Amino acid sequence: MSDQALSPAPRSAETSHPPLPETHFIRPPKKRGRRLFNSLQPWLFISPFIIIFCLFTLFPLTFSVYLSFQEWNPVTGLSGMNYVGVQNYVEAYDDPWLWKSLYNTFWLAIVSGVPQHLIAVPVAYLLVYAVRSSLRHVLTATMFIPFITSTVAVALIFYSIYSANTGILNQMLLGASKLPLIGALFAWVPDVMPIKWLTKSDLIKPAIAAVVIWKYTGFNIVIYSAGFVTVPQDVYDAAKVDGCNRLQQFWHVALPMIRPFIFFAMTLTIIGNLQLFEEPFILTSGDTGGVGQAGLTTSYYLYLVGWEWLEMGAAAAISWILFLIIAIATSIHFYFNGRKGMEGNR
Amino acid sequence: MSTKSLSLSATATAKYGFLIVSVLITIFPFVWVAMMGSHTRAEIFSAPPPFYFGDDILNNYQRLLEIMPFWLVLWNSLTVATLGTIGAVFFCSLCAYGFFAFEFRGKNIVFGLMVASMMVPPVLMLIPFFLTVKFLGLLDTHFAIWFPGVANAFGIFLVRQYMVSSISKELLDAAKIDGCSHFRIFWSVVMPLIKPAMATVGIVMFIGLWNNFLSPLIVLSSPDKYVLTLALRSVQSFANTPWGAVMLGTFLSMLPLLIAFLFFSRQMMAGLTAGAVKG
Amino acid sequence: MRKTLALGIAASLMAFSAQAGDIRLDGFPDFNSHLDKIIPVYQEDHADANITYQMNNHGDHHKRLTTNLATGSGAGDIAIVDVGFIGTFINSGGFENLSGADYGADALADQFVGYAWAQGKGADGNQYGIPVDIGPGVMYYRRDALKAVGTDIDSVIKDWDSYIAYGRELKKRNIYLIADAADVAGLIIRTTVKEGEGFYFDKDGNSLITSQRFVTAFNLAKTIRDEGLDAEIGSWTNEWYDAFKSGSVATQLSGAWLLGHLQNWMAPDTAGLWGVSNLPNGIYGSWGGSFLAIPKQAKNKKEAWEFIKFMSADPRAQIAGLKNIGAFPVLTQTYTDSAFDEPIDFLAGQQGRQLFAHVAQRVPAVAPMKGDLIAEDVVLNGVLREVLNEGKPVEQALKEAERLIKRRVK
Repeated sequence: MSDQALSPAPRSAETSHPPLPETHFIRPPKKRGRRLFNSLQPWLFISPFIIIFCLFTLFPLTFSVYLSFQEWNPVTGLSGMNYVGVQNYVEAYDDPWLWKSLYNTFWLAIVSGVPQHLIAVPVAYLLVYAVRSSLRHVLTATMFIPFITSTVAVALIFYSIYSANTGILNQMLLGASKLPLIGALFAWVPDVMPIKWLTKSDLIKPAIAAVVIWKYTGFNIVIYSAGFVTVPQDVYDAAKVDGCNRLQQFWHVALPMIRPFIFFAMTLTIIGNLQLFEEPFILTSGDTGGVGQAGLTTSYYLYLVGWEWLEMGAAAAISWILFLIIAIATSIHFYFNGRKGMEGNR
Repeated sequence: MSTKSLSLSATATAKYGFLIVSVLITIFPFVWVAMMGSHTRAEIFSAPPPFYFGDDILNNYQRLLEIMPFWLVLWNSLTVATLGTIGAVFFCSLCAYGFFAFEFRGKNIVFGLMVASMMVPPVLMLIPFFLTVKFLGLLDTHFAIWFPGVANAFGIFLVRQYMVSSISKELLDAAKIDGCSHFRIFWSVVMPLIKPAMATVGIVMFIGLWNNFLSPLIVLSSPDKYVLTLALRSVQSFANTPWGAVMLGTFLSMLPLLIAFLFFSRQMMAGLTAGAVKG
Repeated sequence: MRKTLALGIAASLMAFSAQAGDIRLDGFPDFNSHLDKIIPVYQEDHADANITYQMNNHGDHHKRLTTNLATGSGAGDIAIVDVGFIGTFINSGGFENLSGADYGADALADQFVGYAWAQGKGADGNQYGIPVDIGPGVMYYRRDALKAVGTDIDSVIKDWDSYIAYGRELKKRNIYLIADAADVAGLIIRTTVKEGEGFYFDKDGNSLITSQRFVTAFNLAKTIRDEGLDAEIGSWTNEWYDAFKSGSVATQLSGAWLLGHLQNWMAPDTAGLWGVSNLPNGIYGSWGGSFLAIPKQAKNKKEAWEFIKFMSADPRAQIAGLKNIGAFPVLTQTYTDSAFDEPIDFLAGQQGRQLFAHVAQRVPAVAPMKGDLIAEDVVLNGVLREVLNEGKPVEQALKEAERLIKRRVK
């Protein structure tokens, strides 16, 4: 039975399989009750999600839709709301900081998103197949550390690293420029010192992207490791017999088999990166997104508007604009990759 | 022959060189946090900050116990994270099975709704979430912190993806022909096969709950119910923070996460060994 | 350990639900250090008072308080509110009117520093927040740098020109005048407000952002930055602390509370090298300050008010605040206390607190306006950095800021 489970059997039939013919194999007390039970059964399985969704998500969602048509300073209490129609949306439309923040959000989403996966997939492969198992756990755990490090520590550490005069990054660059062989490559460094990573508008975004990549690559490594684990050894053996080398095995065997995981991890990155908040926030000390708002993402901006400027209605409108953008981006992703990524679920 | 072994060892060098560099980059903050936990505040805030161990660990530890009931809040965090993780691993798998094994009207809508629920920016949900928790009479309880996460989109989606790539429909059909109910199939056939996915969900949930501070901030009001993140944040001010103690606390708070990771990681890779043996 | 026990006891007491004297105070550190010492003093006269507190860091506390006010539940009996938020919070309708008959706060007004008392007033003229500490603004300066240049402090602070001239002399000796030029702009904007105007808006809510006050402030900061007189170091960074230790920066404009931090941990080894003076150009300003207020949802308002009166209007608590956490008193009668005459070794024997008290009583009161929070973010954190770091023209920057603010503030 488990052999069957692990074999890469074609799964074309799996979703179109009608659950009806099995009915008579179980001993139902009554036929009609049985049928009702059958049609309810899937809902029973997904009921935990539905219950929690209704309890904890549905109301907040409705509330924030309602809120986006109100003017509301939260400290005035629930009775302090004023209906303003679509004014919040109209204002958002010609708010220069919102447009700036959308640009920053996309820039950061792409620049900090793509490398995560380009690094994580091969590293996970390496960890699963090319490293002794005792070492594997330790290495994976180590690469996961950035993901578990608390925000406060991340802020302190990267502030020190990026510090213009005494930061390790600038010191290392200076050091590199003095090295005999590669020094020539870094000859430009002394001329531009000190590099102000966090207080120059054109350097803030790359500085943030580096931290995001550092923090989330390990997370993706773990997801992809779980993916590679599903690929049974005999598939590789078969490929080896066919004369595939390690690289070809990776490319032609392993990658297609973990497609659902790539799809999943990409979905998470798209949604998560378009909501980027914490890293830009701490690296610009919560100061309106840094010089020229170069590090102001849309999530960050709606936080400012809602919690610092106490314009919750306007913030709600911005959050629905952001939601719409994320939904469109995710839909495009599902449209192009979903058929294979969901294995015919759609 | 010799060229081959040479190129082999070159590959090995490249491989290990690459791994070592990655490890150095990722382990760096962990080591640094540990180092900062052994210094006084004045030392931590010198420029450049010290990158070596100091001799104030014991002082910092004493200070940590003065500023917060450290072991109590650690225990609270452990409770919250453990309950939430167990709940999430079970319920997410259950829901994932629902999406995986059945075809039913409205499935795509519910699934779409689920994915969409991840897209809502969380900062704005704070006030209505508070109202919900208050309405349910759950203010100042740990339950209100871990329970809302037990059937989350991330976990359900991940386990479902694992199911489609590792469980064949034939297996399910075979089990059905044997007369198993769906819950029976889920419990005794599917669950053992999706351990790696459950372990992955477990790790991520455990960390998420452990590092979560927004919902504890608005839900909890008794200091003896505080969780670690909240306690560590609550002693920070612009100026007068005992940073040595806070960094020591931060370091200590990362240790359970690493232990949890190693525990789950073994489960995660267990599938690999099983596959290798049977394959 | 004692604290653990105290927390445990506090928690178990809370389980008995609201007894007569039970009050909870919500705030941010370092108030807890002060409360730990001052609550027992209060209990000497109020034996049945059980006072607990809930501390969260500054930002978290205000976020939580916002949530509590928004939803009408979850707040303590007393809330500490930072001066930055006071303008928005006191006009929200979420706090008790302390001028009302139940409290009679107005009778206390004369005992308090004028500007701080005024900041706690709502637009309706009623008192909603009682100041508990203030941050009179002064200039901290390095005596060794002054000596090296060979001038005296009075000629340095005569006006902004003399201040900048001092900076040019310092530059020849590789010392920076100030850590961040933006501080100068912020100070001028906050302190040279015309009678009857707000910081960013006039009485009718019209923006003042393109007015002369802002142009002057921006130009002055730009001059300092362009001539390389500032170190371009942000506050609360390692480099900032390091500048205090090494003496690479000669002056810092800040509140009275900075003294305690310099002395205790930022640069303890530089004792005797520092002095304090009035702010340049004869202006009076303040940095920070906190208020106590009673949320309408509080359960024990009467006891809460008793404790507020103790914290703010009892000289014992006010003097203790100065000693415990360096919170500068807001009660004018305390300024004759012997603590104010103490020569301070860190300031080379100068009687610094007398200067603080002198400044405190001269800071002009400016009424907070709706939209101040947005304007401050957009002007001081937003466009000012673009002017200083990226050379954006001042006029253009201010116009942009005004356009942005007009859209957001109705």
